[in-house]
Amino acid sequence: MYKTRHAWFFLTPALLLLMAFSIIPAFIAFFLSFTNYNVFQPMDWVGLKNYMAVLRDSEFWNAMKNTFYYWILVTPALVVLPVFLAILVNQKLLGVKVFRLIFYFPVLVSVVVTAFLWQWMFASDGIFNYFLSLLGIEPVKWLTSTKVVMPSLGIVTVWQGLGYYMLFYLAGLQSVPSDLYEAAELDGAGFWRKHLNITFPMLRPMIFFVAVVSTMSAFKEFTLMLTMTQGGPIGASTTVVYLVFEEAFTSLNMGYASAISFLLFAVILVLSMLNQRTLDKE
Amino acid sequence: MNITKPKLIRWIISYVFLIAMTMVTIVPFLWSVSTSLKGQNEAIFSMPPKLIPVNLTFENYMTVWNSLPIPLYMWNSVILSFFGVLLPLIFCSLAAFPLARMNFRGKQLIFIIIIATMMIPGEVTMIPIYLILNKLGLLGGFAGVILPGAVSAFGIFLMRQAFVGIPKELEESAVIDGAGVLRIWASIMFPMVKPMLATLGILSFIGAWNNFLWPYLVIENEKLYPLTIGLYKLKGTFVTNTRLVAAGAMIALLPILVVFVLFQKYFIQGAYSSAVKG
Repeated sequence: MYKTRHAWFFLTPALLLLMAFSIIPAFIAFFLSFTNYNVFQPMDWVGLKNYMAVLRDSEFWNAMKNTFYYWILVTPALVVLPVFLAILVNQKLLGVKVFRLIFYFPVLVSVVVTAFLWQWMFASDGIFNYFLSLLGIEPVKWLTSTKVVMPSLGIVTVWQGLGYYMLFYLAGLQSVPSDLYEAAELDGAGFWRKHLNITFPMLRPMIFFVAVVSTMSAFKEFTLMLTMTQGGPIGASTTVVYLVFEEAFTSLNMGYASAISFLLFAVILVLSMLNQRTLDKE
Repeated sequence: MNITKPKLIRWIISYVFLIAMTMVTIVPFLWSVSTSLKGQNEAIFSMPPKLIPVNLTFENYMTVWNSLPIPLYMWNSVILSFFGVLLPLIFCSLAAFPLARMNFRGKQLIFIIIIATMMIPGEVTMIPIYLILNKLGLLGGFAGVILPGAVSAFGIFLMRQAFVGIPKELEESAVIDGAGVLRIWASIMFPMVKPMLATLGILSFIGAWNNFLWPYLVIENEKLYPLTIGLYKLKGTFVTNTRLVAAGAMIALLPILVVFVLFQKYFIQGAYSSAVKG
């Protein structure tokens, strides 16, 4: 009853947009990474020169190191903590739905507002340092010390992401048959036994999924750094994508920036393949 | 109801954790609300920190409102979000319809290509998209912010799932009535997928309202700033006056809070849908 031309009529607008803003750009980026395109001069094919230069660039390695550091700071926390949060809000308790909404709300806050909120928390005489002073600890330079800046940004990311992944796990928990828990309770299993033996095994696919999603987003993060620290102090919070952004739109070295972005893409690809292999082994 | 002792203990422990987590979640907001309500003479950073202002005042809100074109920024955000919701809804559900309900040559291939675009990372395509927008003369205006996000592979996927579930008899009876294809889509299919449309709409709204990167890259004219960018620049304007920046941040936060409270059901559903696709 439908004809092929009908199908194409419906598909065309979406396909054109996907071509223009996703598929073609991917090819252009790949092409650019082999050129010295910098907006002003005519562009030349330079072969692998960009890639070679990136691999010798200490800024690139610094950014790579920062990105891995950030990943290690945020992903384990975002994989594990929301499980407990989900267990907490999966109980039949008065007002539990309101708590879910509250915990989810930070997800909706734009990065600019998030940056403001946390800059004040981290201020030299802000709340964090006040609590430290109660414990008799010297004030910490949360955002202006090269050593502390990444953990500080990690705190912000975890704060914002907990509610997001909590809902993932909640969706997972609600498909766990409740008679499993009832049986365990009859056997006299306590909180830890119950969840170690039932919840975690049942949530396993979701845990892997959250690990993948939070890894991807950790490796892509740069707007938080752009709004909170401008990659500083002295490059201590410059992530790889932040470097791409700077090279492309501040220095206008678009060919070079494209090469960096492809190297990062390769890293992400390898990581997700490793993840896939662990999954397959299960 | 029989409340046993272990039950009571678990109940208490649960609430202790729930309340502790609530504190962790809302303290940054409370701190900013409090700062935004403090007068010029009251210290923001004091030891110990004072959450409740001594002289509660709305003057910061007045100052920000009067010195910045906040209504204009909001209007720009509203326009950008309107199209940022409308276009994906239309284009995704258009494309999803034949993928779910029609048989034609190349269908599998098209679907695979669409799904494959989900793998293309945004940080790789950021530069070429900028260059394409430049070539098309779309830098500087709203079109350059809206078009890159006007369709999403994920949206097509979601809508396809919704269309697949509609019983075949519905459209067959419409065909017998002699309805055109576009009418079948608009008057029979569209109403059937309303819940998924709401979900996709909410997801698109969050993305569009909070969009920072593309307005930042595309829009130069101050009169076209959305709230996110206006606020980002506000930091530069009132760099020394934290109270004003806090008031501005709270003004920016209010609309999303209202929308969230009004449509909470769909927000949670939207999050579930993105969880389930994994």
